[in-house]
Amino acid sequence: MRKVAVIGGGATRCGKREATWRELVQEAGKAMFDSVENLSPKDVEALLVGAAQPERFTFQVHVAPLVAECLGITPTKVIATTELMCASGQAALRYAWACISSGICDVAVAFGVEKMYMRNMAEAQTNMTCVLDREWDGVNAMSAPPFFAMTAQRHIHEFGTTEEQMAMVSVKNHHYSTMNPLAQFQKEVSIEKVLQSFMIAPPLKLFDCSGITDGAAGVILVPAENATKYTDSPMLIAGSGQANIGNAVANLASISEWIPLKLAVKEALRSAKVSLADIDIAELHDCFTISEIMEYEAFGWCERGKGGKFIEDGGPYIGGTIAVNPRGGLLGCGHPLGATAILQSIDIMNQFQSEVPNGRLVKDADVAVAHNLSGAANVHSLMVYSRR
Amino acid sequence: MKASREKITQPDKIDLPQMLDFYPLQDEKDTRISQFFKNLKTGQLTTTKCKTCGSVLWPPRVVCSGCMSEELEWVNLGTEGELYAFTEMKAGAPLGFEKDVPFCIGLVKIGSLLISSRIDEARYEDLKIGQRVHLKVVELEDDGRVFYRFKV
Ligand SMILES: [Zn+2]
Repeated sequence: MRKVAVIGGGATRCGKREATWRELVQEAGKAMFDSVENLSPKDVEALLVGAAQPERFTFQVHVAPLVAECLGITPTKVIATTELMCASGQAALRYAWACISSGICDVAVAFGVEKMYMRNMAEAQTNMTCVLDREWDGVNAMSAPPFFAMTAQRHIHEFGTTEEQMAMVSVKNHHYSTMNPLAQFQKEVSIEKVLQSFMIAPPLKLFDCSGITDGAAGVILVPAENATKYTDSPMLIAGSGQANIGNAVANLASISEWIPLKLAVKEALRSAKVSLADIDIAELHDCFTISEIMEYEAFGWCERGKGGKFIEDGGPYIGGTIAVNPRGGLLGCGHPLGATAILQSIDIMNQFQSEVPNGRLVKDADVAVAHNLSGAANVHSLMVYSRR
Repeated sequence: MKASREKITQPDKIDLPQMLDFYPLQDEKDTRISQFFKNLKTGQLTTTKCKTCGSVLWPPRVVCSGCMSEELEWVNLGTEGELYAFTEMKAGAPLGFEKDVPFCIGLVKIGSLLISSRIDEARYEDLKIGQRVHLKVVELEDDGRVFYRFKV
């Protein structure tokens, strides 16, 4: 296995964009190629495109060749779209990494894109309702908000977590996203504002939920030994972990504890040869405030059931136990499904290069983890990145 | 030469396409678990149990995920369950369900199974974890397809 480096990346501004799916692709593709020297689209041998639901949101399938065409890429080794719902971008990253690390090719692009705003937003909600088992969960309107609402309800019931503690996650991540020009949300929120925001599915209110977002992003991967041909400050992929148990809500390992995440964390740390204490930055999948609380627990930064107390005590802030989501998270940046994992990796690279504003800079960070969950939190995907 | 012009039209409305209709197809010619829906029509909530390894499978299957056996039998799950978790859809319902908002959704514990279901005839404030809920069968007026729900 060869060591793999990320040598550059680029992204669109995220939010409700006045641009089509393919225009988002072009914006992010240009930014990506502009970020590296000595490399042109014609050098790219493998293209993996993370896109969760282009066939539903934009009525277009076979999208990887469309991305290739827009960006002047003519893959000679591997081309495919990767779908793993909210982790589709990380799926693209993992396969691009596997292509380089296995020696299949020497230049791979991992791309991610989602256009989620539609004229009829009920249609967008319909798309989000076929993620779990559509015949047995979707038919009950079981999309993400009601599922994570019940997850929160169980966490509150079993451990005494409070809605105020959940709101604190939103406050933190919106604070960091005010310092991220790519973020969908640029305003601070207070605990009161979160608690008083529109009820979506109790106990989840509007600001407990990540947004509906348009966005695209891409990164370029090469063997670590070639990285300095293109950049002075590459980011290394140190390891990864991924685990899945069940699919329909009926067949999860647990509602109030994310057991597959614990398995994925163990494998990610083992493969990267690092311990939890070595991690300086954690980009975690805060699709809902309760998600981040349960992730503190599954990683082991606090005991099971103590995630609410952990945020209350400032544990996940920069300068605390672990800097969680200094990018602004999905709550602050938005969640353009296929693009999210790529956006996380670009921000970690910027952190390693000290190219983020001081207010959200994690000084001297060497090791970072990026996490995405998908479905009913039955799948958890992790990448470990290092500065050297 | 000046480009010619013509006004063209699209239909005002298109019927709900099959793949946007969440209720599963139930007829014998469409599915091998049509027995589930036949049982439901008579007021019985059933599922498949593996005769080889004893696993009770939900949703109903044609192959046991525990041992790959095809020797499955229908077992009755009764008409009562315990509410394990619930919420109320106040916004963001998919097409076809918008007219029902607000409505409750829950996880109903029946034996070892945790079944997701609409919880009818109640508002969020009326419900409690651990509460008994009762089977209800809904029937689509246009084509007679059925589905299960629970109510207080
Ligand atoms: Zn069996």
